[in-house]
Amino acid sequence: MPTKMLTCSRIAFTTVAAGWLLGGVPLSATDAPRVPTVTLRRADGTTAQLADYQGKVVLVDFWASWCVPCKTSFPALDALYTRNRDRGLEVLAVNVDEQRKAADAFLATRPHTMPVVFDPNGEAAHAFMVRAMPSSFLIDRIGHIRFTHTGYSKGTLDSYEREINSLLSEP
Amino acid sequence: MTPTTTRVSVLAAGLLAAVTLAGCATVQPYQRGRLADPEMMFDADSSSVSYTAHWQEAREGAAGGFGVQSGGCGCK
Repeated sequence: MPTKMLTCSRIAFTTVAAGWLLGGVPLSATDAPRVPTVTLRRADGTTAQLADYQGKVVLVDFWASWCVPCKTSFPALDALYTRNRDRGLEVLAVNVDEQRKAADAFLATRPHTMPVVFDPNGEAAHAFMVRAMPSSFLIDRIGHIRFTHTGYSKGTLDSYEREINSLLSEP
Repeated sequence: MTPTTTRVSVLAAGLLAAVTLAGCATVQPYQRGRLADPEMMFDADSSSVSYTAHWQEAREGAAGGFGVQSGGCGCK
């Protein structure tokens, strides 16, 4: 009996863990954690607070120049931003490179319109408890983290579209 | 072993563990820029590695030493 229970708990744990790892973890507005208070630095030296985006649906994406899947996800997220910004979507691409010149070289070869902010000391990444690169967090209009994605694959973009539509339709 | 020796040994082992374990650190996923650098790879240039393996196999008859199958004739 204890062995059976152990197996059941193992299966339950694996299912939950797989759900988290595969991304797209939905949380209801009431259960979802509040967005952490972080200060992000823009290229021009000014700062941005996530609290400033209250009332908008925000996708926060952590990326780095050395992260291989980020080379695919970065332009895809930029296209997602271009398609949905008029509907109220904001995208914040948070760079975690320690060396700014590495980030600048990456950005120079990838034209983009989405706002890029810098977190060289990993303070924002720590506050969001980033567990893989890239990682993204979808924040609803009232500042709750409703969906998280770790890594990037072909299906991730479809999930984003679906989740963004759902969050944008909320009041 | 006298109790004093045992105590000294335990203390020494504890001290050694404290000193060596202090060198361990958890690298977060977002801090892996240096680890992801191509210079950190054992075989950064795969074509160079396979070329070296090829002539070394042919010259030394050391087939299989690099994880590839070969007859050692240098003709593969």
